[in-house]
Amino acid sequence: MKLEDIAGELGLTEFTPGVTGNREAEIDHGYASDLLSDVLAHAPEGGVLITLQVHLNVIAVASHAELAAVVFAGNRKPDDEVIAKAAAEGLSLYGSPSDTFDIVGSLSALGVKGHHA
Amino acid sequence: MEHLSYDIRSGDFNGAGAASRDLKRHLKRIGAESDAVRRAMIAAYEAEMNVVIHAESGRLEATVTDGQLDVDVVDRGPGIPDIPAAMREGWSTASAEARALGFGAGMGLPNIERNSDRVSVTSAVGEGCRVSFTVMLRPEAADQGARPSSLGIAAELCRDCRRCLVACPTAAVRVREAHPSVLHHLCIDCTCCIAACEPGALTLLDAPGGLPSDGVLAVPPALLAGFGDHGVETVLEELRGLGFAEVLSVHPYEDELRREVLDLAGSGAVEAPVISPVCPAVADLIEVKFPSLVRHLAPLASPWEALQRDLDRQDVTYAVSCPCQRTAILAQQPTAQRHTVTARLVREAVLPRLAARHSTASGSSAPRPQEAGADDLLVVTGVAHVEAVLEQIEDGRLGGVAAVEPFICDDGCFGSPLLSEDAYVASWRWAAAAGGAPGHGRSFARSRPYRPRPGIRLDPDMAVAIRKLAELDAETRSLPGKDCGVCGAPTCATLAEDVVMGRAARALCPYVAPEEESTS
Repeated sequence: MKLEDIAGELGLTEFTPGVTGNREAEIDHGYASDLLSDVLAHAPEGGVLITLQVHLNVIAVASHAELAAVVFAGNRKPDDEVIAKAAAEGLSLYGSPSDTFDIVGSLSALGVKGHHA
Repeated sequence: MEHLSYDIRSGDFNGAGAASRDLKRHLKRIGAESDAVRRAMIAAYEAEMNVVIHAESGRLEATVTDGQLDVDVVDRGPGIPDIPAAMREGWSTASAEARALGFGAGMGLPNIERNSDRVSVTSAVGEGCRVSFTVMLRPEAADQGARPSSLGIAAELCRDCRRCLVACPTAAVRVREAHPSVLHHLCIDCTCCIAACEPGALTLLDAPGGLPSDGVLAVPPALLAGFGDHGVETVLEELRGLGFAEVLSVHPYEDELRREVLDLAGSGAVEAPVISPVCPAVADLIEVKFPSLVRHLAPLASPWEALQRDLDRQDVTYAVSCPCQRTAILAQQPTAQRHTVTARLVREAVLPRLAARHSTASGSSAPRPQEAGADDLLVVTGVAHVEAVLEQIEDGRLGGVAAVEPFICDDGCFGSPLLSEDAYVASWRWAAAAGGAPGHGRSFARSRPYRPRPGIRLDPDMAVAIRKLAELDAETRSLPGKDCGVCGAPTCATLAEDVVMGRAARALCPYVAPEEESTS
């Protein structure tokens, strides 16, 4: 499913409107974790990450792991520096009031799978 | 070759990742395969974060050569008191600040290990630590548990005689269109193909910048004893004359290792007979071809690794006499490749100085003193004998032997085909000059434990491997079984494997009729 369609279905808030390159990207896989080494080790390339962490290192890790997008759960919002960095890396950031469990559940219902599925 | 260097600031969580990001840019620019880039970046980022989280300051140095990336991260800081614990997932000493940011989950070093093809961690508590790792940039190598090899190939010298094909104990060599190549996941860095290659198309890689002329020079005893009438003392003196502050021989570390192995054999701590890791190529052969014997290997560093650990400095030039020594040194310190040279290069440099002198042979011919407990030690040299003895151990047929000291080269390290003096002459001269090159050796535990290498596995996924095994059986049966070598693989079975793994077409076989090929 296309990233912009997923964002629409889940009612996500887009923090990086300047990043348009990923909107058409097909998102088949996702990962949920707040441990950055775990994200590095297991997040699927081109996928989406659901996390509570909103600081700058998340962008570095997501960029290293070559993710397409990050969704911040539980109404968490990154500050402007983080958003600017993500935009520079071509990474899309979204926010949701739902918690991690519910976001993953919704994504799963849309056919987005885990790393090994 | 490209060399990159970055300072890493402690506690700089926001700036962290800059070095690994820049490295990624370079790797992409040289066209490295994307999965390799990703693995390299994960390992580099984790190493960078280790410095940010734990150390006072640090530096990341990276060397990119054709086919591989070597990274060395050295920091000043508290060091790691228990390295095996740190290599286990979940072990961490990170601060609350680091943990709050999602770091310090104890996955850093395991992540580096998982994403690199070799890794070494050394540390002095209270001083700092060094994390070195290598990532193979060619995908087909990384897939199959390959590690870097120090074998150099000069294809233009190849005469297509194919002696190397049958010389290789692990069937790792292929010759196609007069171009030798090596399957890195099988190569054990021995000298068998080098010894078989008359024109010198297969050889040992030299340091890219030639012979350095300062710092410390470490040499094998066979080099010191390899200049005819010139005594060991004279050779040492002239080597220092090249500009080196100190010239050391590796032999005290060989002696120390032998003592430790005999001690281990006496204590029963390692399953008997204890196999000495004196020759890294044999240790490698065991990992690839005799995995059940890994538990017989003494968990100690080879003499060159021990010397390197003991000196622990950057300005050491290692003059090695075979590929396995070079590979062992680089496994501990990848950036040392600027400082690993062939014994031949040192020989050529010092020969003019020696030629200008008169012969200074010492009259001493005292035999070398016997080592304690040497009676219990079985010394085996040459790949055929080594394999025969390893098979006896595997079958439980080697009774009465406490310890084995195996060398892949005929006549041990003195017999390396890369040395110019005859093995018997050099070892006689060395024995005659015993004490001519004093020094103290130490032995060290090995940082990475010996373990079976999945070199012969057909696929990481067992289900796929089983399917490939069936294909392999069918493919092997369809070939004539003549093992002629015309196809460039040593045997019909190895060609069958090349076909199944997509490395070659079965049409290379001169006995397979073309129509049979097109219908299969």
